[in-house]
Amino acid sequence: MRRHVALSVLVVGGMLGAASCRSGQSLTNAGVDRRPTPTTVTTLPGETTVPPTTQPRKLDTLPPCDVKALDAATSSGPVNITFWHGLSNELGRELERLTAAYNSSQNKVKVNLEFQGGYEQTIDKYLQSSTANRPDMVQMPEYMVQQMIDTKSLVPTQACAESAGYDTSPFLPQALGAYATQGVQWSMPFNMSIPVLYFLKPRFTAAGLDPENPPRSLDDLLAAGKQLVSSGASTYSISLDSDFDGGGGWYVEQWLAKEGEFYANNENGRSAPATKVLYDGPAGVKLLSYLQSLVTEGGGVYVGDNASGQDTLFKLADPTKPASMTIATSAALGPVLSILGGGVIPGITNADVGVGFMPGPRNGQGALVGGASLYIVDGKGGEKAAAAWDYITFLESAASQSQWASATGYIPVRQDALELDPIKSLYVTDPRFKVAYDQLISSAPGPTSQGPVIGPLKQVRRATASAVAEVLTGGDVQTALTKAAQAANDLIANYNAQNP
Amino acid sequence: MKRRWRDSGLATLMLGPSAVILALFVIYPLGKAIWLGQQRCGVTSCTNSGFRQYIDAFRSNDFQDSLIVTLKYALITVPIGLVLGVGLAVLADKYMRGVSIFRTIFSSTVATSVAVASVMWFFLLNPNVGVLAEWIGGRAKTPGLLQSEGLALWAVSASSIWANLGFTFIVVTAGLQGVPKDLYESAYVDGAGGMRRFTNVTLPMISPTLLFATVVLTTRAFQSFGEIDLLTAGGPKGETTTLTYLAYGSGLATSNDDGLRATVSVLLFAVLLVLALVQFRGLEKRVHYGN
Repeated sequence: MRRHVALSVLVVGGMLGAASCRSGQSLTNAGVDRRPTPTTVTTLPGETTVPPTTQPRKLDTLPPCDVKALDAATSSGPVNITFWHGLSNELGRELERLTAAYNSSQNKVKVNLEFQGGYEQTIDKYLQSSTANRPDMVQMPEYMVQQMIDTKSLVPTQACAESAGYDTSPFLPQALGAYATQGVQWSMPFNMSIPVLYFLKPRFTAAGLDPENPPRSLDDLLAAGKQLVSSGASTYSISLDSDFDGGGGWYVEQWLAKEGEFYANNENGRSAPATKVLYDGPAGVKLLSYLQSLVTEGGGVYVGDNASGQDTLFKLADPTKPASMTIATSAALGPVLSILGGGVIPGITNADVGVGFMPGPRNGQGALVGGASLYIVDGKGGEKAAAAWDYITFLESAASQSQWASATGYIPVRQDALELDPIKSLYVTDPRFKVAYDQLISSAPGPTSQGPVIGPLKQVRRATASAVAEVLTGGDVQTALTKAAQAANDLIANYNAQNP
Repeated sequence: MKRRWRDSGLATLMLGPSAVILALFVIYPLGKAIWLGQQRCGVTSCTNSGFRQYIDAFRSNDFQDSLIVTLKYALITVPIGLVLGVGLAVLADKYMRGVSIFRTIFSSTVATSVAVASVMWFFLLNPNVGVLAEWIGGRAKTPGLLQSEGLALWAVSASSIWANLGFTFIVVTAGLQGVPKDLYESAYVDGAGGMRRFTNVTLPMISPTLLFATVVLTTRAFQSFGEIDLLTAGGPKGETTTLTYLAYGSGLATSNDDGLRATVSVLLFAVLLVLALVQFRGLEKRVHYGN
């Protein structure tokens, strides 16, 4: 027995010995000769980045799109196209219904939907596949813009739109702008959501707060939080998380945008590829200090990295130590209401839920678009691209968007969808669904209202999330942000080096 | 000589199919992974950076952190799992009425997939609706065990130990049934008490089984992925980012780079190879295979 122990100690000791040869470098520097030094393209905020007229437009250097190719091809039966998407459950079924309606409405194009299991699976499969194995059209989440551009596998939707003379004026500028960089519209927005404030109206009333006027500024949020806790209406005021797709990453981008600040240089990576993040500056420090004060003074509760995706919302339903507010994606409203409608959670009804703007600078106005967009894949033949564009225009039509938004809770991508039923009547009967739309269109004009486009945006969000976690558990704000920004800049530099 | 040649022809014919399959599905992918592991990849193309990428990767903070997490995870799950499995097996190795019910219960987790076990524990430990979280209280409520630094790895380990318990139980039970009863009887006659009989008869006799269970549990610990992905996704702050999760790399340094993923996978393979060699070479001599 003793020799077993001695041997185990030897093995573990050996492994720890191996572990002690730590180089102090990040894994991203493995095999790279030097630590890449970021080269910064300096653009001042507000400076126009229109290239000199003597240069060709960027769009003209990209694969073209001729929508007439569809008419030429359909003499020999419909053009079959494959569309990869990542929408599961009810969302997927609604997309199936829309697609079936499209397929039966005309005989030029037949769309084959292929559900990939989720966004992550779609991304992995798309990046691993050769052109021949890729679909004709793909849906990708908002953080993929730069990577999709770097695959050099796209027909920009703008090329099709120009070829068809497509009218984009009814679209929300925020929706289109999210998927445009360097003057090119790469894809078309389809399912849009933004973070909003969720709160419980009865607890607001119990605390003497007006449930019809939830807090909009950060000062109001802090004050309301104090009142909720001191009045005994609930144990905690607001539940906060450090999910990289939530409070840890995505919301930080949102808050900086509300403040009118860039998250990354080169106009959030839209005038030229971003080389560093900017959130470790004074605006970021001020913001995260505020977040910290929500926990230290405002009665907020930190629920961790939101592993279930619903921990912040569940905290409102905690039977023993509940919170009364949280920030979550607007796309959660439908599911939240249907769960409460089922009576699963005692004491909270459908009508108790209130929705407000995500509190922040400028009275919480504005938001960066989250969700996903539709890309057309290059190298499949002109008629396939034209067929994909035809299907996209169906999904983007006011009627489809009205139907899609009311069935799913996503924000319609165009204003004229609001004039049509069913979304028109839904916004009247339940104005809570319209809050996200109103918040989005209140965005300040200008480049800071379009989110960061960074190749490794997801990993950058993870780095940011660890800083938020540190801050919410009492860490020093500047130290945490400096460390996170350094990690993020490393990731960006390495990505840029591998994707010239 | 001639005969030997004829034999080897036959041998080639017989071994051929499995050699082809082995080459196609094991050797080729392994070679390919080793080749890919010395490249850095962007979205569209890869560049060679030479085999020093392996050394750099091995020494990097991310790999070292993950290696330590993986070691900790193995050191928690293997001994505890083994002790619990042996304990339950010894308890259930009695001729009593109704003992088969307990055997069924103890071995039931073997029929539970990692995904099912993880989702179950996920709900048990959920800080807001979880029964276990309610009982434990404290940090299990705010922010929750799976979200707490310093505790998350233990919580994941608990799930893993539970899920693997059925396997250990069945293996050890089978081992126990191979121990001749007359050994116990003679030990009893010689005046050995219960504890003495366990350490001097049971343990040496089931030591081959224990070696087998240790190797399998260690390998499983080093390869565990499902519970990490479902319970913590590598968090909080990378405290549960094991080597397999680093190789998978969702949102980590590796995630946009197939080359780095391959590097980490090959290094994991090397670590496991060394570990298995040490376990077999070192422990096998101390294992009693009977006479």
